[in-house]
Amino acid sequence: MENWVRIAASADLDRPRPLIPVTLAGKRLVLFRDETGALGLIGRNCPHRGADLCYGRLENNGLRCPFHGWHFDRTGQCVEQPAEPEGSKMHEQIRVPMIPVRETNGEIYAQIGAALAQTGSEEARP
Amino acid sequence: MISASLNDRMTRIGPGTPAGAVLRQYWQPAALIDELDHGPLVPVNLMGERLVLVQGDTLHLATRVASADEAPTHYPASEDIQIDPTGPTYPVDLRAGAVWAYLGAGNPPPFPMFDCFRAPESHVFAFKGLWECNWLQALEIGIDPAHASFLHRFLEDEDPSDSYGKQFRDKAGSTEIPMTKLLRDYPRPDIRVDETDYGLKITALRHMDDGRTHVRVTNQIFPDAICIPMSREMTITQWHVPVDDTTCYWFTVFTSFDKPVNKPLMREQRLKEHRLPDYAPKKNRANDYHYDPDEQARLTYTGMGLDINVHDQWAVEGMGPVQDRTQEHLGRSDVAIIRYRRMLRRAMDALETGG
Repeated sequence: MENWVRIAASADLDRPRPLIPVTLAGKRLVLFRDETGALGLIGRNCPHRGADLCYGRLENNGLRCPFHGWHFDRTGQCVEQPAEPEGSKMHEQIRVPMIPVRETNGEIYAQIGAALAQTGSEEARP
Repeated sequence: MISASLNDRMTRIGPGTPAGAVLRQYWQPAALIDELDHGPLVPVNLMGERLVLVQGDTLHLATRVASADEAPTHYPASEDIQIDPTGPTYPVDLRAGAVWAYLGAGNPPPFPMFDCFRAPESHVFAFKGLWECNWLQALEIGIDPAHASFLHRFLEDEDPSDSYGKQFRDKAGSTEIPMTKLLRDYPRPDIRVDETDYGLKITALRHMDDGRTHVRVTNQIFPDAICIPMSREMTITQWHVPVDDTTCYWFTVFTSFDKPVNKPLMREQRLKEHRLPDYAPKKNRANDYHYDPDEQARLTYTGMGLDINVHDQWAVEGMGPVQDRTQEHLGRSDVAIIRYRRMLRRAMDALETGG
């Protein structure tokens, strides 16, 4: 388990809305389970204008920012921008950095590495 | 996305900064008239300066002695305030329920004749609220007409006749459609931006299925104000004025174009949501804005209640003390923000080159 760090227990996500904030190596992240049960660990600030995705809407098998409805799957890929013009392809270029996670024996681990370094959500507050 | 140095240049407002110099060329709201009851000396924390309103023969702003570690909105009792006679003093003016200050050099410009300043006292009401973030992200949410279709989405519509004093709860124009429904049904406004001599005219067009078009105009009043419709009766003129680099107040003047404003009701609605003396919202980051996942699933987009000020506050405070614009990705819905930043940069450059 080199470079893998325990970030949560599986039980931490046993709630009606399976999402919790995680801080790892000074980066602010959000951990959630999608409708298939798979885990996503992504940067906490929306890549649009930086709104806090911890308060996002868990729906349509992903996480939706309440600010403008940008919708992300568990890999951090933006799949919908409902305020942009009909037919816009901009979302294909937008992704939130995803940090690899694995779940073993009721514990959730995240990989400290390049993906984490790319995350812009620095811990700015105590 | 922009460079870190440009982000600093546009957001920092203390004395001697380029953006601070632009803001200091205009009258800015410093306090509510209600605050004058505090005593002969009223603390004012404005644009990185620690000031005091001195009530006497000539109401004016002076500098007060302040310790370096006091809170951004520190609000000492009148008898505990010590005037710093070596610091600058500034002129003030009382208008529309607020105290306005000019922190620039030389003589202040004439007071602008916006509707809220021309209306009789009976038809205006002023209030303010604290947001713990930089002023520019606070202003930028106000010139982004698309967010109202999401951030302020109500999954059910209330009765518009119960909407007095509330934003987006009236019927839309001459239709029978609640604004909440119109915003929800048409989330991709066609946004047009025109530069004007006062700032920007931002027109959000929502093309409806029946062939009609809903038109909503936001006037951006350069540098830090907006004027928007609140209901069919009232407009909101709102300044986003810095306390310091990471704290700001919204100051709103509500202007009625019909009946006199019901000031006791307006004040009561808003005091219920704020704490005195600093007008900090009772719902805030420390208590998760009273976020309720169940409400978010059933009733509102945010799960933070029906007060749209709280939604805006969550959006802008969640970006961090100063939004990291090196990470942003602006879209077509941000067209007015892009145009506004261009104007701000031009104004900063012009001051630096003496233009």
